[in-house]
Amino acid sequence: MSLAIVNARLLDPATELDSPGAIYIEKGKIKEIRLGEDAAFPDAKETRDAGGLCLAPGLIDLRVKTGEPGAEHKETLETASRAALAGGITSFVVMPGTRPVIDDVALLQFISDRARKTAKARVYAAGALTVGLAGEAMAELGLLAEAGAILFTNGDIPVANAQVMKRAMAYAAANGALVMSRPDERALTGSGVMNAGALAARIGLSGIPVEAEWIGAMRDVTLAEQTGCRLVLDQVSTPRTLEIAAAARARGAKVYTTAAAHAFFFNERDVGDYLTYCKVNPPFRDEETRQGLILALKDGEIDAVVSAHDPQPPEEKRLPFGEAAFGAAGLETVLSALLSLHHDGPLTLLEALAPVTIGPASILGLPQGRLAEGAPADLILLNPGKPWLCEREDLLSRSTNSPFDGRRLQGRVMKTFVGGELVFER
Amino acid sequence: MAAARPDYTFNHEHLLGIEGLHPLDINHILDLADSYAEKTRAGKRPDPVLTGMTVVNLFFENSTRTMSSFEIAARRLGADVVSMPVANSSVKKGETLIDTAMTLNAMKPDALVVRHSASGGAKLLSRKVDCAVINAGDGTHEHPTQALLDLLTIRRVKGRIEGLKVVICGDIAHSRVARSTTQALHLMGARVHLCGPKTLTPPGTDTWGAESATSDFDKALKGADVVMMLRLQLERMNGSFLPSQREYFRYFGLTQARLALAKPNATVMHPGPMNRGVEIESSVADGSSSVITQQVEMGVAVREAVLHLLAGSRK
Repeated sequence: MSLAIVNARLLDPATELDSPGAIYIEKGKIKEIRLGEDAAFPDAKETRDAGGLCLAPGLIDLRVKTGEPGAEHKETLETASRAALAGGITSFVVMPGTRPVIDDVALLQFISDRARKTAKARVYAAGALTVGLAGEAMAELGLLAEAGAILFTNGDIPVANAQVMKRAMAYAAANGALVMSRPDERALTGSGVMNAGALAARIGLSGIPVEAEWIGAMRDVTLAEQTGCRLVLDQVSTPRTLEIAAAARARGAKVYTTAAAHAFFFNERDVGDYLTYCKVNPPFRDEETRQGLILALKDGEIDAVVSAHDPQPPEEKRLPFGEAAFGAAGLETVLSALLSLHHDGPLTLLEALAPVTIGPASILGLPQGRLAEGAPADLILLNPGKPWLCEREDLLSRSTNSPFDGRRLQGRVMKTFVGGELVFER
Repeated sequence: MAAARPDYTFNHEHLLGIEGLHPLDINHILDLADSYAEKTRAGKRPDPVLTGMTVVNLFFENSTRTMSSFEIAARRLGADVVSMPVANSSVKKGETLIDTAMTLNAMKPDALVVRHSASGGAKLLSRKVDCAVINAGDGTHEHPTQALLDLLTIRRVKGRIEGLKVVICGDIAHSRVARSTTQALHLMGARVHLCGPKTLTPPGTDTWGAESATSDFDKALKGADVVMMLRLQLERMNGSFLPSQREYFRYFGLTQARLALAKPNATVMHPGPMNRGVEIESSVADGSSSVITQQVEMGVAVREAVLHLLAGSRK
């Protein structure tokens, strides 16, 4: 089985390639890349004309929550995979906060089995850092890693006890395991529901202050430095947190950062009339902070952009703002959120794609996420200028609580390939 | 004070907050409320403008005072009133606010008076029902009828609102009264100064229309025409917000001595219920400057006016 995709604009942030060309796929992998407008592979059994569209690596998403197991009414691996592929995401990492929590080998194997049977995207499982995400006892990190856990995290619930965190990081470091943590000092976050500040005070909502993130980040990077643990600071929402990470990196710590795609698109004002679709954690910050994040992304200070996909059914969102669940569906809007930064000027196409391709691939040590000979043929055909109206009823995710609902966006995935197989077509 | 215009009509569907009201709207409500207050004082029954209409009081938080005030107002105007203190009902057993709203909506009321612990609760409900919704307090957001009754009380005592210096003191951060009253006073041309401990004074009060926010009560009181004390939730007293009731009273309690820093004829207000000896000295609360009881009286009049304008216009 061989496939040639010709007449494409090849985009690869890993090598800064932006050129007309063609790709030859064999046995699910990229066999050869030829540059030039007339590049072709006459020997291929099948040839697809890209019609001049962009051919880029499929996206890799480090943070996806599914309801499976335990809350399949929110999302299953199958529905998450379908939505991911429609959004151009060909690989994603499932968070361990399922019911029950992914804190033992059997659960990890369940996720792998279900994904193999039902999902066409590549699904990786994150193991819980602590048993039951309770923050008290470390999970079986070694056994989970052996069974395939790609990283370890306590998900949305930071480990409050610094001693437990330190020991878990030390243990993970000895095993070469990657730890991901949400920097969040919960004593400061309290019962906050949106960005702390004048707007929250005026509309009578309790705020989540930026310093909760800074203090959480300072603790975790300090522990990473002390233990030698590779650490991902998950969903950073302010430039100062990135500075904390950069300072630690300058001292030799192995610290990476991610940010949620919606954090570049929305600010706190989008909460508007208590729109619960805009209730996410970390919350949408003020405009100055959002602009700062965009500049940091441009400067390469953010290693990966995540969907932070956290689907919530209507009964969790059709509530007063303070009582509604945090979280937004994000798999189908990551790329458009990033492309808006390209269309608005600050980012080149390659800069917009880097944090969802080679960025996360490098953190996880995966071979995909690049247009390289021998790499898995996980690819997207993208029309970066195509306008579309995001309407939640059209989303493929099982829960369609999107802050992008009703927004006009630009840039759409037209075809998605996993291992050379066409798995989504628009 | 903004003058009424002949082409003016009150065209609001709901009263969810002071935000969104024009000074002309506020004047219109206050004028109507004033006439209701006068009628009541004269021992006359108002015209039964709400005869045949149903007003539902939906209180997710307990508040005997406000619920009674709305109930009396609606009955005086001839409406059938159903008061539902739902704090312990099915809503607490898993039914969402929207489910409750839709159930009530099916019963075709003409007005819903809503109190809810969540900011934005009344707004959310207003999107789901066909009748007028009156916000009787949503979380720490707004309490518009309280603001209007405060304004009516001030207007009657002082003869005007414009140009007055009003000091609002206490737990600003958690007070929906502070938010609504500050906005309303600002709209009507008063100069509002907020005062409270730093831990209970949120950022951005200038966006509500306040001229200043300070922790120096003595300084704030200088030249004040009106001093409005806010209720302090005692459960916060020994938490991390404040050291103690004793210390709070020392710096933010309204005493006779402190009141002397304001203008000689300064008016003292409090939305109630009061914590005597914590926010306010008894002699001040019961003294000649206090209009606290009058605020309660004006509350009924304002609610009559609001129900008249919102439910009555749907007849």
